[in-house]
Amino acid sequence: MSGTRNKKTTAAFILAAVLPVVILVLSLNIGAYRIPPKAVFTTIVGAVFPGGAASGPSPYADILFRIRLPRLLLALFAGAALAVSGASLQALFKNPLVFEFSLGISYGAAFGAALSLVFLGRKVPAQAAAFVFAIIAVLAVLVIAGKSASQVVTILLSGVIVSALFQALLSLVEFFANPYALQSLIFWLMGSLSQADWKDLGMTLPIIGVGVTVLILLRWRLNVLSLGEDEARALGVNVKREKIVVIVLAALTTAAATAVTGVISWVGLIVPHLVRMAVGADNRKVIPLSAAYGACLLLVADDIARSAASFEIPIGILTSVVGIPFFIVLLKKSGKIWL
Amino acid sequence: MIPAKSILPFVLPALAAMITPAAVGQSRSPVTIVDSLGREIVVPGRVERIISLEPEVTRIIVALGEGKRLVGIDFFLRHHDRLFPFVFPPSKRLPVVSNQGQDLNYEEAIPLRPDIIFSSPSEFRMTEAIEKKMRLPVAALASMGKFRDLVTEIETLGRILGREDRAAELTTYFKEHMEAIRRAAAATGVDTGPTVYLSFWGSLLRTPVSYEPVEAAGGKNLASRLLPSYLGTAGATVSIEQVLLWDPEVILVQGNYPPAERQMTVESILRDPRLASVRAVRTGRVHYTFGFWYWWDPALVLVETAYLARLFNPGRFPDFDLVREGDEIFKEFYGTEGLFSALCRVLECHEWNPE
Amino acid sequence: MKVRVENLHFSYGEFSLHVAGQTFADARVTSIVGPNGAGKSTFLKCLATILPASRGSVFVDEQDLADLSGKSRARLVGYVPQEPSFTFNYSVLDFVLTGRAASIPVFSSPSRHDVAAAEDALRFVGLAELPGRPFFELSSGERRLVLIARTLAQDPDILLLDEPTTFLDPRHEIEILELIRRLAGEMRKTVIVTLHDLDMAVKYSDDMVFMKGGNVVAAGPPGDILSEALLKAVYDIEMGILDVDGRRLIVR
Repeated sequence: MSGTRNKKTTAAFILAAVLPVVILVLSLNIGAYRIPPKAVFTTIVGAVFPGGAASGPSPYADILFRIRLPRLLLALFAGAALAVSGASLQALFKNPLVFEFSLGISYGAAFGAALSLVFLGRKVPAQAAAFVFAIIAVLAVLVIAGKSASQVVTILLSGVIVSALFQALLSLVEFFANPYALQSLIFWLMGSLSQADWKDLGMTLPIIGVGVTVLILLRWRLNVLSLGEDEARALGVNVKREKIVVIVLAALTTAAATAVTGVISWVGLIVPHLVRMAVGADNRKVIPLSAAYGACLLLVADDIARSAASFEIPIGILTSVVGIPFFIVLLKKSGKIWL
Repeated sequence: MIPAKSILPFVLPALAAMITPAAVGQSRSPVTIVDSLGREIVVPGRVERIISLEPEVTRIIVALGEGKRLVGIDFFLRHHDRLFPFVFPPSKRLPVVSNQGQDLNYEEAIPLRPDIIFSSPSEFRMTEAIEKKMRLPVAALASMGKFRDLVTEIETLGRILGREDRAAELTTYFKEHMEAIRRAAAATGVDTGPTVYLSFWGSLLRTPVSYEPVEAAGGKNLASRLLPSYLGTAGATVSIEQVLLWDPEVILVQGNYPPAERQMTVESILRDPRLASVRAVRTGRVHYTFGFWYWWDPALVLVETAYLARLFNPGRFPDFDLVREGDEIFKEFYGTEGLFSALCRVLECHEWNPE
Repeated sequence: MKVRVENLHFSYGEFSLHVAGQTFADARVTSIVGPNGAGKSTFLKCLATILPASRGSVFVDEQDLADLSGKSRARLVGYVPQEPSFTFNYSVLDFVLTGRAASIPVFSSPSRHDVAAAEDALRFVGLAELPGRPFFELSSGERRLVLIARTLAQDPDILLLDEPTTFLDPRHEIEILELIRRLAGEMRKTVIVTLHDLDMAVKYSDDMVFMKGGNVVAAGPPGDILSEALLKAVYDIEMGILDVDGRRLIVR
């Protein structure tokens, strides 16, 4: 039994290192502007080793490095952020049905970003307000759940309530926004990576990078925290402090991603589950693998979003369409959920 | 012998009816119209109190000279439209009977005792609902961006208000002007107008699938081959790569916002490194244009088309002065001097005057 | 390590616990017995500082536990609950590894040394062949053993076990009690355990503490303090003590 597990684990890790790179390279070839694969290759090589045969700026370089690459990197990082925060929160709350969405973080962040976009314009980075309200959302969930925060149903219910609250507040922002701001707001809320440019990434990628890295460093610690407050404390862990750190990191990475991409949900639920089903619940494996496969998932989803039809399918809709049936299947198999 | 005195009361009105042309809104027989949803509506002869939820209709009513009959308007014209307060100053005292996202505020509307309500055709159920609740004629009218339908709409409103003459004046003026622009801008020989990409609604990637002023001015809207996707504004969302692929010769940015509120500006497009290879950016042919908000203002769309014709083919319109043209057209529609100049003070559109 | 309690108070609603002074000897097994509601578990949890005492102190080798950081305390005192409150389906080894938390820095993962400690603990409780087995597949007896192994991996000097034999069948019950004896004998740990079964307590303890209504009624080696009068005072029913083949049995 453990033999097959070990083989699966090794395979999973190797794949995790390789797959994102492979998908990234393949995705560079996808887009409305047809670039022959050979040209993709030579352009990349020409950029990495400059001074080659290339004479002057080519339109391909612009497309690959100004348009496609930032978007793909954003998909990679956002996917990793969402998957890792989902996995961490599941461990922390001892509840496999928890992820940043069900804790109200996603809609808290969206509300914060919307508030910032509508009333402060494009000058102030929306990430700041997104983060603040993501934290407020989590606090609200913990306060509402109260003493029974350790119970599965309670925390989910609190998350639903807080999400609903922020959605209502979001509607209020839409209501008070003038029609001009409203148009761009609605477009943004649908969840899209289509406007990714290096300026946006300049703020977002480092934040996500740091957040995901620290959460990966805490991967074993999450095993201990997942035992519950009393037991973890008996084992000598400063539970309160470490719990806060994890929640803040999860909120931070989710908010950073959401502020740029809008609400993209279900990634934080699907990916950790699939990973646990393959390699078991040990967070030393689950957290890093979730990062890698979350990145892959969002990359693939984005590829579909921009190539399946002549217009862009908002990626939030895609992940919901896939994620919700998946969630339902998971709920039905409740007994076997925390595989 | 019948005494003349006893016949007169019957003869005079009959003579009068034969001689006097129909109406300035006084007692007339009901009028049947077909609205934009294809519904047949019977409008009473006397329409004195009007609620209009569709900004385009409200603007036309004012242009027809019957703004005084308005008793209630929608939130957009009252609070967010930059032009309307100049065109119809009394609007600042008109009650708002419909807020953002709401169909009709019945409690506000009923005490106003309207004779007719004009609604927006993009919400079919709303029109039916209002008719059921208010039990008055509700006509859904809007051009949906088509000039032909705009003309029909002016004529229809003229019939409803008993101002067919004025309507005929406006439609004739409109058609003649539009025709003149079209002819001057039209292709002669092998020349074809420029390809145009429109960046509307404050977003680089949202573009209207149908925008007639561009074609009338001799250009070609690149997005016209796309299917409209969502949000009820007949727009589509494209990707940056698609814009690069199209490589438009001209890019137009919806500029109907005060400069401080613009989310998308000409400068940001010119400076965007991703668009550096696009023809329009390289040649500096990135301009503001008015666009539409809740469809047209009939005067503004004429100004717009003339302005675009000049932008696309400067050689054919050497003496074009945007502000002067604008003020002239607006005077024809609304009877007041300097309306376009007033708008330019808010939008700074005098700066768009092509050299 | 010697454990000394001084003037410990704890209240919860109507119930209040008060232990004026109590010592638990080094390398011995002390069992805490008494009727339901006597406060046995509460006392144990106060010793583990899981429940905050309202007054009084717990001293380990004359060091007040309240003065220690969580990590330092965990190196001294280990608490084994009856059941884990919740867990993901970790493998047995991963589960036991979590016991090493006090020795592993926050941002680190277990070292080979930590893994060896966990494996040793599993070996001690007799589950060495099961490291990869998922937790949910264990029987309740095996789960108890794994819980004890986890606390062993923590390597504290004092072990507190809360009703480790409740609901187990006789074979597993004996297995655990034998294990507890070895903890005190072989590993020289101070073991304090709450038991519901008087006969087993008598057989396996070096010392016993009888509690009733939140107070300690009597404490000492069973040979010294066990009497029918004591049993009647604590349990409110007549019980008899029989000598069978050198073993003391309690009948009611």
